[in-house]
Formats: sequence, structure tokens, C-alpha cells
Amino acid sequence: MIERTPILNVATHLILITGLALLLLPVWIAYVAATHDLQTVNSAPVEIWPGDQLWINVQAAWTQADFGPKFVNTFIVSVGVVVGKITIAAITAFGIVFFNHRLRMAIFWLIFITLMLPLEVRIVPTYAVAANALMPFQTILDWTGMTWLIERASGVRVDLQWNMLNSYTGLILPLIATATGTFLYRQFFLTIPDELVEAAKMDGAGPLRFLWQVLIPLSRTNIAALATIMFVYSWNQYLWPLLIITDRANYGLVVVELGNLVPDAMTTGGGVPNWHIAMAATLMVMIPPILVVIFMQRWFVRGLINTDK
Amino acid sequence: MNIKITTLALLATTGMAGAAAAQTSFEYWYGLSGDLGNVVQETCNRFNASQSEYEIVCVGQDGYEAAVQNTIAAFRANQHPTIVQSFDAGTADLMLSGEFYPVQQMMADYDIEIDWSNYFPGISNYYAAATGELFSMPFNSSTPVYYYNEDMLAAAGIEEAPLTWEGFAEALVAIKDSGVDCPYAYAPSTWIDLEQFSMAHNIPVASNDNGYAGLDSELLFNTTQHVQHMENIQSWINDGYAHIRTAQSGLSARDSFVQGECAIFFSSIADHNTVGKIAPEGLNWEVQMIPVYEGFERHNTVVGGASLWVLSGKTEEEYRGAAAYLSFLATPESEEFWASNTGYIPVTQTGYDALIDKGFYDAAPYAGREIAIRSLTYTAPTNLTRGIRLGGFIQIRSEWTNEVGAALAGQKTMQEALDTAVERGNVILDRFARTYAGKTFP
Amino acid sequence: MRRAYFKNNWIAALVVAPQLLIIFVFFYWPASQAVYWAFTLEQPWGGGNTWVGLDNFRQALGDPVYWQSVTASIIFALSSTVLAMGMALILALFADRQLKGYKIFRIGLIWPYAIAAPAVGLAFRFVFNPNAGLLSFVNKAMPGLWDPTLNGNQALIMVIVAGSWKLISYNFIFFLAALQSIPRSLVEAGAMDGAGVLRRMRDIQLPLLAPTFFFILVINITDSFTDSFGIIDTLTGGGPARATDLMVYKIYSDGFRGFDYSGAATQSIILMVLVIALTFVQFRYIERRVHYT
Repeated sequence: MIERTPILNVATHLILITGLALLLLPVWIAYVAATHDLQTVNSAPVEIWPGDQLWINVQAAWTQADFGPKFVNTFIVSVGVVVGKITIAAITAFGIVFFNHRLRMAIFWLIFITLMLPLEVRIVPTYAVAANALMPFQTILDWTGMTWLIERASGVRVDLQWNMLNSYTGLILPLIATATGTFLYRQFFLTIPDELVEAAKMDGAGPLRFLWQVLIPLSRTNIAALATIMFVYSWNQYLWPLLIITDRANYGLVVVELGNLVPDAMTTGGGVPNWHIAMAATLMVMIPPILVVIFMQRWFVRGLINTDK
Repeated sequence: MNIKITTLALLATTGMAGAAAAQTSFEYWYGLSGDLGNVVQETCNRFNASQSEYEIVCVGQDGYEAAVQNTIAAFRANQHPTIVQSFDAGTADLMLSGEFYPVQQMMADYDIEIDWSNYFPGISNYYAAATGELFSMPFNSSTPVYYYNEDMLAAAGIEEAPLTWEGFAEALVAIKDSGVDCPYAYAPSTWIDLEQFSMAHNIPVASNDNGYAGLDSELLFNTTQHVQHMENIQSWINDGYAHIRTAQSGLSARDSFVQGECAIFFSSIADHNTVGKIAPEGLNWEVQMIPVYEGFERHNTVVGGASLWVLSGKTEEEYRGAAAYLSFLATPESEEFWASNTGYIPVTQTGYDALIDKGFYDAAPYAGREIAIRSLTYTAPTNLTRGIRLGGFIQIRSEWTNEVGAALAGQKTMQEALDTAVERGNVILDRFARTYAGKTFP
Repeated sequence: MRRAYFKNNWIAALVVAPQLLIIFVFFYWPASQAVYWAFTLEQPWGGGNTWVGLDNFRQALGDPVYWQSVTASIIFALSSTVLAMGMALILALFADRQLKGYKIFRIGLIWPYAIAAPAVGLAFRFVFNPNAGLLSFVNKAMPGLWDPTLNGNQALIMVIVAGSWKLISYNFIFFLAALQSIPRSLVEAGAMDGAGVLRRMRDIQLPLLAPTFFFILVINITDSFTDSFGIIDTLTGGGPARATDLMVYKIYSDGFRGFDYSGAATQSIILMVLVIALTFVQFRYIERRVHYT
């Protein structure tokens, strides 16, 4: 730092340490729960210090949930979502910030509204769409009489089908649809000074070159933050994969399996509360996102990015 | 590893081998999760190993509601399984939609012999038509009992676990006097406090024989002995003879019992297995039928748990496969497998008898579960003790829970709470009736 | 505002097309069906429905319990947003100072976001448990002081804290990223002009943070309305006596659990309208104070 401010430094450290402790407390408790056996973990009061069963529980969780292939699947899906998301959000935000057409705000709001109806609410009809992703178009063709027309004209009956159940596409595409990324990029793009755009235009650069050579490099920290968030978000997906993946052996995701390990309280009678195994599984499931976060840290660092425009 | 990017195919459900398969594959979506889910998977594996004509693919859905809800979503897209495990309160909609293949009829259609009278009436009636024909296959059935700490009761001078509520109340006082701070770990539960309570006392929960006779039912539980019972519970809590212990408050009733903190808790017999596994050394515990008030004749309790429904819209081979699986489950070996790996009780008389003959219930860890059978078969079911067939029942249950919670928190009297619950519940019933206007339960 | 644009509107159409296509297929198409259900009485297994027009809305809006849920949701949303944004901002500002050990803080403060829902719920239950959790010590001192199973307000507090927890982490990531992209030259110039650390925070960093701040504000409020289901489910189940029965939880209970598709659809529309209105207000009145360039 520039000047010497010992008191403020101490205060800073204190604040950060407290914040860290508070935030990590639940993680600690989960860790402790994973290190005990069945009876200890169900006893009261809650254990604060770890036991010695960690390795046993981890092994049990790994085999019970068949985590190997699932980790791979979840990784594939998450990377797919990250790549898809940062690309699509960037170009969409680009399209609504740097062009002056009347539909800009309308498009932005159209995209933004998708944040406001949670998936749980629309899951049943969304499943129907995933079962046949071309259904909306088929329906439109039917309603406008096009299907009939095409059939009359060429004898070909149009029957569009694209079944996304039990597939990576079905897992990835709906998750790319959210508005967070576009909104984030919009905020950032709005801070780009006009002079930069003018300069590019004077250099004869078209919009796409501007996007690729100027905007994207400038957006590096945002991309890093967004990529981190999206990776974790899709890694932790539960409800949607539970629904559309019935071929668990091949396409199952880790957090769905985690849900399977956590005892369900609804069954009149309930199963054995294997919290120690469930928490061991949770710890394992947590590791890749944390690794990703650690890895992506570097891109948040000042100095790597030349932002002096 | 194969990365399938797109699947351009018609109705590609898993396991549907288009070409040549000698094996017909069909799906079964179940709701049990965790340990119990693993045992269900085992039953599927055992079925697949026992024959080669059919292959069942069992998919766990992490909970009853998710199982039914996901099945509905799949059904609307024509991607549904052949069999779904649906819990008691979730069946009204399915019944009225008619989108199922009644199992009794299915078995008859495929010439599979099943002795339907073999099923305990307290179980089969819940899932049967007014004519007695079974719609769904009973599977994991349980009934409530109460668990008590033998040592604590003995120390309080109680020789026999009470079978009347009056005796129960006295026992609570005695236990408290003997130094136990928490005689009764109480967790509000419609299933136990309202439904099974009413069954055992042969009093109605709703009109129309608890909904069996028509859709224009109305709730009645704010006018029956149930009110008195809830008021008693409230006074026990106020006087310290009972403590509220729920999972959300951190230590559930069962855990409080297992830790030796509380002397009594009520739960399904299916918890028998769990308690056995997590109880520490030295905890001496037993189960007993739920009490009834003096002046009421004890009647049978009814089943909880879930049953297996066969859905419409599938091919004949799949139905044959489903029939084969269901009849596999009905064999004594399967029942023994299920009863020994979980806390659930057998659903047929012969299955139960076979276990008795084997001495299954003579010793720990299974001893005591026959109490549940006794409770289930105490009398033949009457009109009021067949079960409950009301629409929107899950929401009604949650109205009860919320109102009772408000009363226990001191916000209103119990009578007011139950009145409000009935009022709001009737709105739900009316809405249900309007949704299915013109239909009746089959 | 901005004056410099590119002229080629075809390219604009091209670049926005993919996202629009995806949200049409995966959001608007399914959502329209859900909207349709709000005006009918839908049978879950299909097989028909009855048109009832605005009846469902009348019933929902005339139900005092529903308004209770709306109030609770608003309190929850505002409190968790303030808590989450405040704490995250403070933590980010201080982490940005890059004192010794700052890398550990940077990593550690982001972890909570990586944790899946079941673990969070369980861990918080252990923390807040009045009988056996960490807060049970409070009860030892004064019995009955902390009991979120009976006290609705305490339950709400508990849920707000749990809900903010994850958001703090999320906000921290973005605040830190934004702070880190403020050119050092600006900060140094301020220092050379004699501005102290706190002054620099107030006059340089915070204003430059404004676009991100606005982003986080909108996302936090929206999320706390639409994403809070998991926390409620594990911690309180909507109780005690509906004190924490937030709108989104009620929608899930009624629709997903209770099979009342029409009721759930109705409530979803009301929720959506509420959130859109709030967002609109934020865009209209707050964004105008954000200086972008």
C-alpha cells in the first residue's frame, strides 16, 4: 500500500478475518459432520471438533453415489454452460449497447424478465419443450397452416422432433438462457467511453472487429467473474437435471446424487439419516468449484489488465 | 467417453431397444431416497436377475413429491415411466384423471394369479375402488405406533405402556415426577395426530366417508374428539409434560428419543429400523399402539407409505413386464427381503404369517413390529376407517400444520386454529371439486 | 448518455438472435403455458381444464394469508439485500487494499458460493438450533430467548442471515473484480493529492463502482424473491405459523407439492409482476444516478 496506516491495517485484518470466519463456519460444520460415524453425527449437541472417520465416509460416499462418471459429466456440462454463456451474453449485450435501434430496451427487458420466473414454477412445461425442442416451431407451423401448405405442395409432412432428454444439450441449453451474463456485460459496456468507439470507426474497423479486438480484452475481469459464477451455478444444478436425466449411469450429475444421499424427511418413516456420508459427499462435490475459483482468482488481479484506456 | 451432442430421434426413452430385443425394458420411478432408495434398487436388481424376459429400469427421484411431480411432467410429454411410486396424499389427482391401469384388472388381463383378499384390509382399502377393486399395488406400508423408553417408564412405576390417552396423560406426569425433563417429544403431524387418530377412534375427518363417496366433501375435524385431543396436547406442552421437537428446530422427536432425552415419541413403524440403527448401546426401547380415549372403541389404523401405480399410455409388452415385476414383489421372498431391510411391514397375511413362522419377530432387531400389524388389523375397516380420499390433501395438511403451529405458539386457541384450518381446507376442497367438475372417484 | 454507435443494424440483429432464440424456446414458450394455467383450473395429469378468468387472482389477492406472504417476502428481500451488499462491499473494499495475506481472504470469501444447497441448509440448522446448535448457548443464559421454531420474527431473522450468506460471497466476487479494474493510477493520484484511505474509498472507488453496484442491487433483489426456496425449505418449512412462508416457497408448496397448478401459476404471475415493478423502479430512479463514463 501507499502510505502507512497501521490502525486501519489492523482494523482491515480484523474485519476480513471475522468475515471469513462467519462465512466459513457452515463449511467447517459440514467438514466436522463428515468425519464422524452414524451415531455421533446424529447426537446432540452438534460436534465442533472433527473425528477420524473422514476417509471411510469419503469412500462410502464415492461408491454409493458412483461419483466417478458423474464428476466427469458435471464437468462437461459446466464447461459447456460457461463457454456458451460468456459467448452469448457478450454478443447479445454488444448488440443492445452499441447499436442505436428502437428495439434495444425491448430486447433487454425481454431477456431480463427471464430472471423473474423461477424454474420451479415453469418446470412442467419446460420439460415438455426439452422432450421436443422444436415443438414451438412445429406448433407455429401448424397454427399458421404452413404444415398443411408444405404437405400439399411437396408431399412432405413436416414433423420436427428434437429430443433433448438424457443429453448434454438438454442440460446445457436451458441454463444458458438466463439474463445475468447479459446484464453484467451491459453494465460494463456502458462504461466504455465514446471516444473508443469513434476511434475504432475512424480506423475503419467494423463492429465485429471492435467487439473482438477491443471489447473482449477489456472485459477480462468481468469474463473471469462471470465464468466463475456460471461454473459454480451449473455445477450446483439440482432440479432440472433431476427431471430430465433418467439415465443416471451415463448422464447423472453430482448434486443430484448428493440429493439422493441426503435423507428425505417426507417419507412416513424416513430412512436412516446418513448425514456423515452425505456431508462427506458434499465436501467432495464442493472441491471442483473451489478449485475453479482458486484458479480463476488470478484474473481478478489488478495489473494483468491494462485498463488505462 | 461417448459425447452425444444431439439426439435426433423419435421418442428416445432410455432402454427402449428399437432393434430386435428379446428383452422388453420398462421404467419405474420411485420416490424413496437414501438408504431406502438403495433397497428399492435392490428389488429391481433381484427382479432382473430372476428372469430374462423383461428388464426394469428403476430411477430414484429423491422424494415422493418429486417422483409424482416429475412423472406428471413426463406424462404430459409422453415420456413417462410405466410404474410410479405415489404416496397416499398424492393419489386423488391421479385417480380422477383416470390415466392409470388398475392393477387388479391388469393382473386379470394377463392371467396372473394374485389373491387379493390376502392383502390386509387396512391397506388395500386405501387404494381400492368403492367396489373393492385395487387400483394400485401396496408396497411400502407403515402405520403409526409410539416408541417408549422402557427404563424411563419403569423408573416412573409404569408397568405397561398405556393404551388409553387418559393413562398416557398419567404416565407423562409420573415420568416427569421421576426426574425426566421431557416425557413426550412432540412433533405436529397430520398423519398421526389427525388422520390416524380419527381412524383409531372411528370418527370422521371429512364428510362423505372421508371423501370416498363424492367430491363435495367438507372437513369435519373441528367438531370431533380431535379438538379435545389437540387441546390436551397443548396443555401438556404448557405444563412441561411435552416438548415440541421438530427437525427444523434442530433435534427431531426421534433424535431426542434416541439421545435419551425424551421418553416417548410417535412415529411410523418404518422408523423402527432407523431407531435400531442409531440408538446407542444401552437404550432399551419398545413400541406400542397409539392410544385411544376412554369411551371410544378402538378401530384399525390405516396405512401410510406409498403404493405403485401403473400409468396409461404404454405398450402391452411394458404392461406385461410391469405385471411381472408387481407379482414378483408380492411373493413371500420379496416381502421378507423388504421387511428385513427396512422398517416397513409386510402387506399380505401370508407374507406376515411366513415371517411369524420363521421367528422373524421373535427377537431384535425386528421384534416389536408385529404391534403395527395388530394396529392395522384391529378391526375390519368401517366406512370411516378405510382411509382418506380428499383432493388437495397436501395443501390441507399444510393448513392444519400452520394453524396448529400458530396455536402452539400462543397466537390463538386450538379451537380457533382448527376452525380456520377447516375453513381454509374447505376452500381447497371446493377448488378441487371445481377443477374436476362432473367427475367422481372411480 | 452514449452518442457513438455502429450503424450496421443487421449485425445487431445477428448477434442478439441466439439468445433470443434460446429464451423463446426455453423460457417464453413454457412460461406462456404457465400463464395460461393461471386463468383456468388445471388438472395436473392433463385431461382438461375449466376457464375461470380472473377468479384465481381474485382468490389469491383476497386471501389475508397471501398478503402475509407478500409482506414477509418484501422484508426478506430488502433485509438480505442490504445485509449482503453491505457486508460484501466492506469486505471487498478492504480486501482490495492488498495487505498481507490478502490472497487467503480473497479465496476464502468466495468459497461459500461454491457450496451446494443441502450442505448449507444442514450446516445452518446446526448453527441456529435452539437445543443443540451453536446458538443454544444463548438459551442457556436466558432460556427461551432464541427459539425460531416458535417465534416468527426470529425465524425470519434466521432465514435472512442464511439467505444473505451465499449472496455475500456472490457480491464479493463482483465487487472485488470491479475494484480491481479501477486503474491504479487513479488511486495513486488521489493518494498524492493527500486523500486518506477512507476518503479514497468514498470519492474514487465507490463512484467508479456504481455500475457494478447497480447490477448487484438488481440481481440481489430479484434473487431474494425468486431464489430463496431452498433455504426456507431446509430451515423452517415456511413456519412457524407461516412466518417465513415466502411467495416463492408458497408457489412451490402449492404447485410442486400440492398439485395446484393453477394456484401456483397465479401466484407466479403476481410475483413476476412485483419483481418487474421493483426492477423498473430501480432502473428508472437509481440508474439515472449511475455515471457510466
